[in-house]
Amino acid sequence: MDILIGSLVAGILIGMILALVALGLTIIFGVMDVVNFAHGEFLMVGMYTGLLTAQATGMDPLLTLPVSAMVGFFLGVVCYYGFIKFLMRGPMVAQLLGTFGLMLFLRNLALLIFGSEDRALHHGLLVGKSFSMGMGVIIPATKLAAAILSVFAFLAIWLLMNRTKTGKALTATALNAQGARYMGIPTDRMNALAWGIGGASVTIAGALLVNFWSVNPFVGLLFTMIAFAIVALGGFGSVPGAFFAGIVVGMIMEFPGFWDFLTYTLNWDWMMDVPMTSFKYTGVYLAYFIIMVFRPRGLFGWKH
Amino acid sequence: METLRSAFDFSDFPRLDISIAGIIAIFLLVFPLFSSSAFAMATMIQFLMFSLYGMGWNTIGGYGGQVDLGKAQYVGIGAYTTAVLLIRWDIPFWFSMPLGICFAVVWSFIIGYPLFRLKGHYFAIATIATSLVLMDLFGVWEFVGASRGLEISPIKYHPPDFWRLIFKEDIYYYYVILCFFFIGILYVNGFRKSRLGFQLRSIKDNEDVARSLGINVHWAKIKTYAIATAFVSMVGSFHACYIKSIEPEDTMSLDISILIALMAMLGGAGSLWGPIIGAAVLIPLKSYLKEWLGAAAGLAGIDLVIYAMIIMLISALEPRGIWGIVEKRRRRKRQ
Repeated sequence: MDILIGSLVAGILIGMILALVALGLTIIFGVMDVVNFAHGEFLMVGMYTGLLTAQATGMDPLLTLPVSAMVGFFLGVVCYYGFIKFLMRGPMVAQLLGTFGLMLFLRNLALLIFGSEDRALHHGLLVGKSFSMGMGVIIPATKLAAAILSVFAFLAIWLLMNRTKTGKALTATALNAQGARYMGIPTDRMNALAWGIGGASVTIAGALLVNFWSVNPFVGLLFTMIAFAIVALGGFGSVPGAFFAGIVVGMIMEFPGFWDFLTYTLNWDWMMDVPMTSFKYTGVYLAYFIIMVFRPRGLFGWKH
Repeated sequence: METLRSAFDFSDFPRLDISIAGIIAIFLLVFPLFSSSAFAMATMIQFLMFSLYGMGWNTIGGYGGQVDLGKAQYVGIGAYTTAVLLIRWDIPFWFSMPLGICFAVVWSFIIGYPLFRLKGHYFAIATIATSLVLMDLFGVWEFVGASRGLEISPIKYHPPDFWRLIFKEDIYYYYVILCFFFIGILYVNGFRKSRLGFQLRSIKDNEDVARSLGINVHWAKIKTYAIATAFVSMVGSFHACYIKSIEPEDTMSLDISILIALMAMLGGAGSLWGPIIGAAVLIPLKSYLKEWLGAAAGLAGIDLVIYAMIIMLISALEPRGIWGIVEKRRRRKRQ
């Protein structure tokens, strides 16, 4: 039983952070129909920023979030004006391969600067601490803090999108860019803003993630795929959808835990032999495939 | 007979193109006689392999406009079929390669049927997902060596062994893949003038119009996907015999899928020469950059940084690729 609750809690916590990872992707996709393959690399930039700022200044890693957010916003805006804007003139194929080129570029630049070894945080207010919830369920403090902060970030983005004039302009651009332009909305600047917000939210997620996940230049691809799965499940362009889908995908990633629970309860021997931990991410990819084929709009999709 | 004649008929190209292609073909035939560098030879074999992958991708991605980013799974199926059959039952390459193509085509039908309900980005990302699922499965499947992969040890056989395609010198491999290369060009040349080829181009232009003309869009895409798969799986089998050691991580990774698509894109998707030009530019660039820069200490990754910058420049400035530039020039001259 404690395995079940443990997996459930772990799935929800990691899911909240993954939802924040996917948020940037869904905003960028919603506003301008571009699939950003470099999304995981933005996350990596956020992780390195959080790690290096914390190490250089000696601050607690959780206090470096504003730095990461600023770096991410800047990165997103620069990418838009310097590169994505030119891609938009070409066909969809060019956008796919262009953002893939961006991904290769950022990844190998990181390899060139930081080397290929894993880096992890060892000091910090919460690093390594955990508390027990009873029934054998142990929650690492870093994960809990990251999940809570992720919820706050989500609320902030949701308020921005739904309660401010800028957010309305963004939504208008997403629904009909040409119409928005006729209404006097600077769509070009709105696109850049979408990239800025997207970049900032994913780098914040990176800075949260680095508290309990070691970083290397190749970390991005896995998160890009996870983020795609979340965005597909939640519906392309939907902010609340990303949140709930994040939690679902977090659960899927904790599937080995549920499998263990079933193995012990049912006591079937063949279940022991299945190397479930190797399929941790396979489930995510499979979920993506199944969702795309049977419900391409996702659970909360409003745009297709 | 008619299809055969159509495959050998290059008369719709300008005479200049045909003569350049002829000179290059002769160069490829005599290249090993002049070159003694093993590195240049390996690069050339890579070039031929990737232009074949690119030609396969071009049928569905270029003529059909369906961006497939999961071709590596078929490289894996072909390579693993050949390697497993050779190691376990000593079945030679020339039997295992068609068998590998059969497996790959069956798999392409299984996933192609649901996949082609999707369009655009959705299709592209879904192909990545299937490819990664297959890679994970091969990574734990003990029968095919799990994540350690398989190794064909050449000592057991007596090279040169033409049946099993086990050679010591690269020159044999070079001529085998060169044969495939010429057959591939002839096939694609026939394909683009076939009924299916015209159907696909009309699907690319406008799917609804194509459907209203009575074309079975879904089935046409699946058929072409199977053709593309056969190309890729064939070269995958060759890859197993040539490299002799295969792992899920390097035969089925996303990087290979993207490289295949990139090659065709860079040269010009939807044209006969596009994938070949793309491979001729990218493969030497990649291997020589790695040779010159990658080996230097402390510079790991700089070759790929330059490579990525070239990809970004091409996709931002000329999305129709090198062949697109040539065609634009020609159209301007005609006016």
